[in-house]
Amino acid sequence: MNLVCSLSGIVSPYYPKQGIMDITNAGFENIFLEAGMSCSEYELENYGKPKQSRKENRNKTYCITEKPWELEEFFEKTLNQSSKNNLNIPIVRAPYLPRDTKRTDATSQSNIKSLLIRLNQETIKFCKKAGCSYLIIRPWFAGIEIEREWEENRAYYLSLADTAKECQVTILLENQCRNFNGHLIRGICSDGQKAAQWVDRLNEEAGEELFGFSMDVGTLNLCGQNIYDFTKALGHRLKAVLLRDCNGNREASLLPFTCVAGGQPQTDWLNVFRGLRTIDFDGQLILSFSDTAAAFSPILRPRLLELAKETGEYFRWQIEIEGLLKKYPSRVLFGAGNMCRNYMKCYGKLYEPLYTCDNNSALWGTEFCGLEVKRPESLKELPDDCAIFICNIYYREIEKQLRDLGVKNPIEFFNDEYMPTFYFDRLEG
Amino acid sequence: MVQIGVQTKNVVMDERPKEGFAMLSAAGFSCADFSLNGYLLNTDLYEERVNGFFDKSRQELEEFFLPHKQGARSANITINQMHMPYPIYVPKGKKELNEYLQKEMAPKSLEICAFFGCKHLVVHGFKLAHFLGSEEAEWMETERFLHSVLPLAKEMGITICIENLYDGIGGHLIEGPCCNVKKAVERIDRINEAYHSEVLGFCFDTGHANLTGLDFKEFLTTLGHRLKVLHIHDNDGISDLHQIPFTFAKTRENQSSTNWDGFLRGLKAIKFDKVLSFETAPVLTAFPEKMKPQVLAFIAGIGRYFCSEMEK
Repeated sequence: MNLVCSLSGIVSPYYPKQGIMDITNAGFENIFLEAGMSCSEYELENYGKPKQSRKENRNKTYCITEKPWELEEFFEKTLNQSSKNNLNIPIVRAPYLPRDTKRTDATSQSNIKSLLIRLNQETIKFCKKAGCSYLIIRPWFAGIEIEREWEENRAYYLSLADTAKECQVTILLENQCRNFNGHLIRGICSDGQKAAQWVDRLNEEAGEELFGFSMDVGTLNLCGQNIYDFTKALGHRLKAVLLRDCNGNREASLLPFTCVAGGQPQTDWLNVFRGLRTIDFDGQLILSFSDTAAAFSPILRPRLLELAKETGEYFRWQIEIEGLLKKYPSRVLFGAGNMCRNYMKCYGKLYEPLYTCDNNSALWGTEFCGLEVKRPESLKELPDDCAIFICNIYYREIEKQLRDLGVKNPIEFFNDEYMPTFYFDRLEG
Repeated sequence: MVQIGVQTKNVVMDERPKEGFAMLSAAGFSCADFSLNGYLLNTDLYEERVNGFFDKSRQELEEFFLPHKQGARSANITINQMHMPYPIYVPKGKKELNEYLQKEMAPKSLEICAFFGCKHLVVHGFKLAHFLGSEEAEWMETERFLHSVLPLAKEMGITICIENLYDGIGGHLIEGPCCNVKKAVERIDRINEAYHSEVLGFCFDTGHANLTGLDFKEFLTTLGHRLKVLHIHDNDGISDLHQIPFTFAKTRENQSSTNWDGFLRGLKAIKFDKVLSFETAPVLTAFPEKMKPQVLAFIAGIGRYFCSEMEK
């Protein structure tokens, strides 16, 4: 699984040096580039209108809607700087129209669609130059009825197949919201089963696997969708996941776990983990937090990026938690409480521990969830390759206790916040 | 012919049910959704507080509801749908509580439904995906419960209707049981086939659908004839407010942010010919008590507008 940091809100394509330096220093090795930085949704929305009514680009050097062939040149500085810092660009997103586009009349649709196809082709070529394997292209939606969505998009995507094949780029479709008078509701590709069918049909018609899917968690959250079901329906077609937080009602790209109310997250992260584990997700895991980054002072941004990197690593760790359990030939647990109980419920049979330990001397020699509870000192007698999984939230304190005790075995943290299933009750006391 | 109905909650009072039904009739309604859920509140159940209402014998319950039945009849109001108290399963509740809900409350709700001559009883599916890991596992528990009441429903000629629900996470309302229409269709058809009878149907709740961003038209057209009853109400897409349709707008253009046109097109596409039933009881406590007749008449007026649009 590749952990990828979105450049949005962090790197200016005109002055990319500092932003890219911050990303590199935070430990990221991969970046996600929004080609829309060269051509915003509002520039597209105003395409073909008299210039005085346009929202002018602050930097007037480029106007990609008029000169799509300059897209590659626009990102030259970013590309050079990334290369200098050994950052890979595994995935890019093509420019797109705003969800509340007013350009739904036939003439505008035709003109803008032709332009987008051209821009998509230029972006595919840019991908080739950047060594990028995946390009997210949002479905075409402006002014089309649900009944015509497949036919319109079939033609739209297949028009890019030859260029994608030539440049060895996989095109990823993405789930969408629909703006209904300001209310964001489920849009194109928001039905996981239907989206999977689209990908399969496009690949069938293209004659090879040229298409896949990128799941935008923020969009699923805005539509209040069952993320587990959606992920499961996409299965192996899911090549990328865009992780972003929001309150479920308004568009935002926030760092995961930062959009909360009453101490509770407002995105269903539990089902993100459950879903991605179920399909053994091994694609591009993109952290998109442009709004959080914009809200933080540039002075604090390096620290924010470090937190983002750690958050991404936590996601990867949670998704691959079963891999961690099976990594060791044997294991013991530390803790004889709820977390140990949850371990035994979900993983006890597949990854059976030798025993568990606890600091509570009253439990020594007793049995808990079928495991013998031993004193911590017993851990000194473990075979070298046996791992100790701490099943208690006082992770660091216990880790230090064990190291001070002279335990040399690998120590891992177990976590039961995002389990495949839960007990209905919790043990008290 | 499509009829118009509304919840009895906040209108039909136990002390003088006849007056309430008369008020509904005067406002322009010919049907009512009898709010049986008002006799065992969800807020109490989540606190594991159970009043003794459903401890009554069948005969006692019939005696209790006789004035209501007579009141409805004298006002020419048909009780076309009822709402079973919910939840039917309290996840962290005691075994005795859950057994009481499923073995005592549920069959008695069916008996009351039959007593009123009502053909549709709306039930809430279990909200257990968090614990059991998936919607499928959750549905298996709901289905297990349904099988415990469906034989009785068949005997009484009642169709139990499952409803699209939401769940909450950090105050954000997200998809809950029965929001996947394709799954709902498969399950309804499979169960009805097994019972050789239409024992299971669907109650489409517009407010819950709006909260979970569902496409009304697509949902309704996929449901087709399985749609038996409606819960029509509006909200801001954020909270389950149970307000009057066309109440909310989100942009300067001030267009309704709920897709009522899609709703009507969906109903029209499936040739819905039952009851446009409004689940708008909270509106009646928001407006001054004195305005209740006018508010009800306004809601009925929206129902008539919907009818006329469907007939176009």
